[in-house]
Amino acid sequence: MKIVIMGCGRVGAQLAGMLDEDGHEVTVVDSDTYSFRRLPASFKGKPLVGDGTDEDYLKKAGIEEADAFIAVTQGDNRNVMAAQIAKHMYNVPRVICRIYDPLREEMYQTLGLETISPTMVGAKLLRDKVVG
Amino acid sequence: MYKKFLVPVTGKKADDDIVRTACVLSRKSKGKVYVVHVIEVSRALPLDAEVEEETQSGESVLTNAEKIADVMDCKVETEILQARETGPAIVDEAVERGVDMIIMGVEYKKRFGEFAMGDVAPYVLRNAPCPVLLWRGPMEEAEQ
Amino acid sequence: MYIIIVGGGKVGYYLSQALLSEGHEVLVLEKDPAKCGAICDQLGSVVVRGDGCEARTLTEVGTERADMFIAATNEDEDNLVSCQVARHKFKVPRTIARINNPKNEELFKKLGVDVTVSSTNLILEHIEKEVPTHPLMHLLTLKGGALEIVEVKIPPTSSKVGKPMKDIVLPPNSVVCLIIGKWGARVPTDDTRLEADSQLVAVTSPEAEAALRAALTE
Repeated sequence: MKIVIMGCGRVGAQLAGMLDEDGHEVTVVDSDTYSFRRLPASFKGKPLVGDGTDEDYLKKAGIEEADAFIAVTQGDNRNVMAAQIAKHMYNVPRVICRIYDPLREEMYQTLGLETISPTMVGAKLLRDKVVG
Repeated sequence: MYKKFLVPVTGKKADDDIVRTACVLSRKSKGKVYVVHVIEVSRALPLDAEVEEETQSGESVLTNAEKIADVMDCKVETEILQARETGPAIVDEAVERGVDMIIMGVEYKKRFGEFAMGDVAPYVLRNAPCPVLLWRGPMEEAEQ
Repeated sequence: MYIIIVGGGKVGYYLSQALLSEGHEVLVLEKDPAKCGAICDQLGSVVVRGDGCEARTLTEVGTERADMFIAATNEDEDNLVSCQVARHKFKVPRTIARINNPKNEELFKKLGVDVTVSSTNLILEHIEKEVPTHPLMHLLTLKGGALEIVEVKIPPTSSKVGKPMKDIVLPPNSVVCLIIGKWGARVPTDDTRLEADSQLVAVTSPEAEAALRAALTE
């Protein structure tokens, strides 16, 4: 699969490394080159500096041919906007978006975005560890 | 000489003391005392919405102030104000009525373990055009 | 009307001041406490500290009864999300977003923001009007951007000078409505000949704009 990941933080870099190892064609976009230090040395994909909410950079990253787009920057709103660009402007078949704020996540889920809220997932995991 | 006094009351203990203070000061100057109670209306409602419960408790707060003033043999004018925020409402009222002094009270209160004055008194201190007399409640009661 | 404005920067501040003076009920949502304080000192109780994208804050300020919701921060993504929350969660009838990157206009419209205001485009339009040498100027946008009225100045170097209108092939969706010359303005007929330095007012579409300019000025 051709996969574009927006945001090369801990999660983005980890995910990019994993997907790359699985043999996918991965492009990681981040506005800060320093973030790319997190990518594993063996990473064969393409790191790209740029603003993932700007269509020019998304095109450079190959959004037009991408099979999947994953938005995992620090900003909920950046993720939401980039995911909606990928879904509605470029019809990327699979778009996944990280949203920390559970209320916002719920709303975008009802609007048809595929979302994941680490806040909810994390809190539930911890609760289950304590009382489970 | 201070002649016109604005006394915002809240229904807390400080009310009695600040109304008495206003009565004493106004007696000397044969001045006037305006006692107001501000109802903060939630933004979910229009400003002029009818808030019955709050109006009722506001009226009893004002009645209490009138009783205290009566004992002091002083006539006061009372009013209920509906506003979004108490601080700006007090300052606006002071400007509109052209008062010479605001007399207000704060309780000795702790929030997150530290003394907290709230938002209202600091706002009035920052923005009131006239002198402000601030009465702070005793510490012991709050500590108990 | 009850109007909620997200963002208490310069745009939000002057906007709320103008709307207040027109007698509307206005509320500004701003994250920065210092800006909140400044607005409260200047404009009174019209500001609440909070995140305009958070449903909880929007509930507190009564977004449900708002007639209009204006997102005026300098971050496009924040403006988009707050408008979407206002529209979908609180059913605000009219949402307006400030756009800083003109490329986002189409996306915002597609995602249900009623009106977008692009400061970059506005500045560009103004500058265009002030620059007299530019051969094509935008005068007005019609039908939400599908059509526009433009002004084209015919340079003396144009190969079309002296030719009648019927010999000039215009791109689709383009009509010359008016010719302004030394003698005043007139509606062109098939036999009207183009003169150097005359101005043409034409209707065209953004896609045909370049072709229209070429057809008249080259």
